[in-house]
Order: sequence, then C-alpha cells, then structure tokens
Amino acid sequence: MDQFNQALINGIMLGGFYAVMVLGFSIIWGVMGVINLAHGELLMVGAYLTWMLNKGWGWEPFAAIIIVAPAMFALGYGLQYVLINRIIERPPLISLLVTFSLSIIIANVVKLIYTATPRSVNTMFDGFWRLGNITIPVTKSVVLVAALLIMAMLHLFLQKTRLGKSIRAAAQNREAARIVGIEINHVYAITFAICVALTGVAGMLISPTQAVFPFMGPPLTLKAFAITALSGLGSIPGALMGGMMLGLVEIFIATYVPGIGTNLGIVASFVILVVVLVTRPQGLFGGLKPVEQAH
Amino acid sequence: MGRWTLLLVLLFLLALPLPKFVGPNPKMISNALLFSMTQMFMLITLASNWNLIGGFTGYVDFGHAVFFGLGAYGTGVMMAKAGWPFAPALVIGALVAVIFALLIGSATLRLKGPYFSIAMLGTFVAMREIVRVAKPLTGGGSGLTLPPYLNRPLFYYITLVMAILVIWFIWWLRGTQFGASLIAIREDEVGAEMRGINTTLHKIVAFSLAAFSTGVVGGLWAYQNTFIDPDVVFFESRTVEMVMMTMLGGLGTVAGPVIGAALIYWLRDVVWANFLQFHLIVQGLLLIAIVLFLPEGLMGTLGDRSSTSLGRLWGRYMNASPQTPQEAQP
Repeated sequence: MDQFNQALINGIMLGGFYAVMVLGFSIIWGVMGVINLAHGELLMVGAYLTWMLNKGWGWEPFAAIIIVAPAMFALGYGLQYVLINRIIERPPLISLLVTFSLSIIIANVVKLIYTATPRSVNTMFDGFWRLGNITIPVTKSVVLVAALLIMAMLHLFLQKTRLGKSIRAAAQNREAARIVGIEINHVYAITFAICVALTGVAGMLISPTQAVFPFMGPPLTLKAFAITALSGLGSIPGALMGGMMLGLVEIFIATYVPGIGTNLGIVASFVILVVVLVTRPQGLFGGLKPVEQAH
Repeated sequence: MGRWTLLLVLLFLLALPLPKFVGPNPKMISNALLFSMTQMFMLITLASNWNLIGGFTGYVDFGHAVFFGLGAYGTGVMMAKAGWPFAPALVIGALVAVIFALLIGSATLRLKGPYFSIAMLGTFVAMREIVRVAKPLTGGGSGLTLPPYLNRPLFYYITLVMAILVIWFIWWLRGTQFGASLIAIREDEVGAEMRGINTTLHKIVAFSLAAFSTGVVGGLWAYQNTFIDPDVVFFESRTVEMVMMTMLGGLGTVAGPVIGAALIYWLRDVVWANFLQFHLIVQGLLLIAIVLFLPEGLMGTLGDRSSTSLGRLWGRYMNASPQTPQEAQP
C-alpha cells in the first residue's frame, strides 16, 4: 500500500510539471495551428538560463523566473517575427519541417556553447518530508505548487484581460476575430511569445529535479504531443488532467514493471498517443481539430 | 528502354570500374573517395526510399530512421550474438524492418497528416529506448561489436548495385497502376478511396517496401561500421538527411532524391567537413531555407522555369521521358 501511495504522490508531482509544460505547446497549436516541434528545445533553453544564473551568480532557481520569463518572451517574439510568421497559414507539413529544423539548430547551438555534459541545478528547497512510510521530495512539491499557480494566473489572463480574450477569439475563429477588429498578427506574436516564456519557465521548474543537457528536448516534445492528444488544444483544465494521466502512467510503470526504470516513460507516452489517435482521431475529449481545419 | 533506364545503365557502367583505379599513385583515386562514394550511394538509397512514402504517398515520415536502426540491429544481433555470416544476417535485418513496418504501419498509417508524422517520430524515439533497455539482446547502451571486415570495393559494389536497383524500381513503380494510386492517395485520399483504391493496403505496401530497403542499408552500414549502439544507429539526423535531400531535389519525383542526396553529400564533404561541430546547425538552417524558399525542390523549380535555357532543356528532357506518358505521345 505504501508503494502505491508513494507512486501516486510521485505521479501527481510529475503530472503537475507535465501540465504546465504542455500549455505552451497546446496554446500555440490551438491559436496558430502550428505544431511546434522545437517545444522541448525551448524548454531546454529555459533550463540552461536557470543553470547559468544558478552556477554563475548563485541564484535560487525558482527566483530565476524574473530573468527567464522576459528573456524567453523576447526570444519567442523574435522567433515569431523572423520565422513563424512565414509559416502560420501554410500547410502543416511546412510548419512541421521548419520547427523540426529549428529544434535541431537550437539543440546543437546549445551543445556548441555548453558541450553535451549534463548539468545540475542546486536549490535550497531540497530534502524530504516524511509522512508515515511515504517520502515527499520538497523540490518537487515546490514545482507542483508553482505549476498550479502559473496555471491559475494564465487562466485568469485568458479569461479576464482584453488581450487574453482576443487570443481566445483568434483560436476560435480567425476570420471573425479579424472582422471585429482584432489585430491578428499582433495576437499571434504575443501568443507565441507568451507560450515560449511559459515553456522557458517550465524548463526553469524542471531544472532542479533532473539533469540539464542539450538533447533533453525530443522526449518532452513527444510527451507534450501525447498530453495534447489526451487533453485537447489550449485547455488549461484539460492540460492538468492529461498531464496527471501521463505522469501517473509513467510512474506506475516505473514502479510496478521490474528492471525498467523511467526510461520507458517515453514508450508509455508514445503508446498512449498512438492508441488515442487511432481510436479517437479527434482526441480523447474531442478537443483536437481535424487535420483539414488545422491547415 | 526508356531514357531513365538508359541513363541508369550508363551511370552504372561509368561507376563500375572505379575500384580498379584505387591505388597509392596520386593520379589514382584514394580509398577515402571510394568510401565517400559508398556513403553517397547509401544516402541516395535512403532518400529514394523516404520519397516513396513521404513524396509519392504524401505521408511525411519523421521516424524513417527507425527502419535503418532495426535493419542494423537485426543484422548486428544475428552476427554478434548468433554468429551468423553476413548475408543471412542481412536478410534477417531486412525482415525485422519489414515486419515492424507492417505492424506499426497498420496503426500509424490510419492517422492523417501531422498526426502520422508525430506518431512516427514517437516510434523512433521509443524504439531507441526499447533497444537501450533490451540489454541481453542488444547490449544496451554499450552497443554491439560486429566481426570486422575491411573490403571497400565489395561495399562499393553492393551499395552501387543497390542504389541503381532502388532508383530503377521506384521509377518503374511510378509508372504502374500501383504508383498512380499512391499519387492519387497523396492528392486526395478520400477521392482515391471512392474510386475503389484500397488506400490502407496501398499505403502499407509502399511503407513496407520503403522499410525493406532502408533496413538493408542499415544492415550494410552496421557491417561496414563494425560497431552499433542506440545513439549512433537511431540518430535523428539520419531522418533529417532523408527529408532534406528529398526536399532539395524535389518531393515526389524519381530523380529528386538522387540529385538532392548527391548534392548535399558532396557539399557536406567538401564545404563543411572541416567544421564538424557546425554540421547539424548548417543542416537545420539549410532545411529551413529549402522549405521556405524552394518548396518545389530543384526538380520542380527547374521543370517549371521555361524562361531559362537550362530549365527549357531540362523540361524537354523530362517531357520526353516515359515518366509522363500522356505528354510523350505525339
């Protein structure tokens, strides 16, 4: 029973991180119709920024948000301006190829600068709480709380502010949003920048809990895709649920299938992805757009 | 005998005696050049295979290197663990790739557009982890060492024959009813289905054919390299190369992947061999440039441009070839 509870706790903590990690990916897809295969690499850049601040100036990783978020916002705005703008309303193959290339470029530029050595980030929120026979890692609890806070703030932003409302309008109907006077290109640029900032912050959150290295991206992109297939595009409650599902599946496989470790988490998310897409191409809860509309 | 067959036979005859000229004399060709040619033939084969599913059928496969890896591991495991000789081991490697293609294709080929691409990318990443975990069979992360065998001319001949055969096969396939059905699937899958084409069967057959010769290339590569591990065999860049070469030459044309592969291989060998650490960055930038500025590829662009004399020449040559029979008829 203790083993079960422990796995449950670990799964929920991992799931919280996945939920905040997937939002950038799923909002970009939902609003702009671009499947961003460089998602994991942008997250990795956020993690590297945190590592630099942590190693170089001894910053607490969770405080790095005040640098990481604006820096990634600027990076996202720049990328949107130079690259993504050219591919938004073109066939999905084009955006896949361009973002796939982008992911390779980012990973190898980071490798060139920082080498492939895995880096670790130290935090003062380390250690464990004990609850009976269950251990609760402090770092991951902080990550979970931070993830929930970020999601609540994003929810408020999308629901209450004028800009958030225009983003949702653009996601629902591009042409109608244009007609009522929303500057769609501005909305796209801001959306992409916000999502990249969000992704960078997710990278900051994960940096104290795992090794940071240039090629950590592709599995995360794939997991983001699997969660999006579970949860639908751009939905925050959906992301929370999908993230939790994947986190729990991954941890329970690692706990109960002997001799495997967490390496097969990626296999689990892949199996979930293919099964969901084959049996329900519209996504588990009908949130995915049919491909014809995603053009 | 179409012009294509003629051109291929000519190229084959030209390339055939090359290993005879290998020697220490500076006027002769070096072993390194022979090795380069072998690599280039492999890349031509890979790009042509990718084009079969990505270009003709329109299913953009982001994980095609998984078949390369399975071919390499099928061959490698049979040779290193079971002690088989190379030829039967290669057959096993290719069979592993085909069987896996049949299984995974019957699931993923039902997905449309980007969903298929991502599912294949997932297959690729997942397979790398499975190979890493299956330690007793594959040696896990520390890899497998195959019995070394240094015979450059032999590999040269095998890859040459293979490249020519695959190009010829794809050219032949393009002219058959089957090939036309693949194009129909790419242009309008629902329409093709309504005309009575069994689209699922066609897609799976094309996918398995592509997987078969990709697996063969993987097995050959493993034997030539004598060492395989998950990271070197299941290497993202290999898929990127296939996509990039096909896109540069022209998606869905027979000659496109050949021209693209040859161009990029020599460009890479000559221009940026000295900047190895920038290699993948340049490759990514090049792919973005091709996608944004040359989406039709060289073949498409050259074939279209009737304004330049080179384009006209090329256009005349292409129209006279049996690839577009309705235009060739007087």
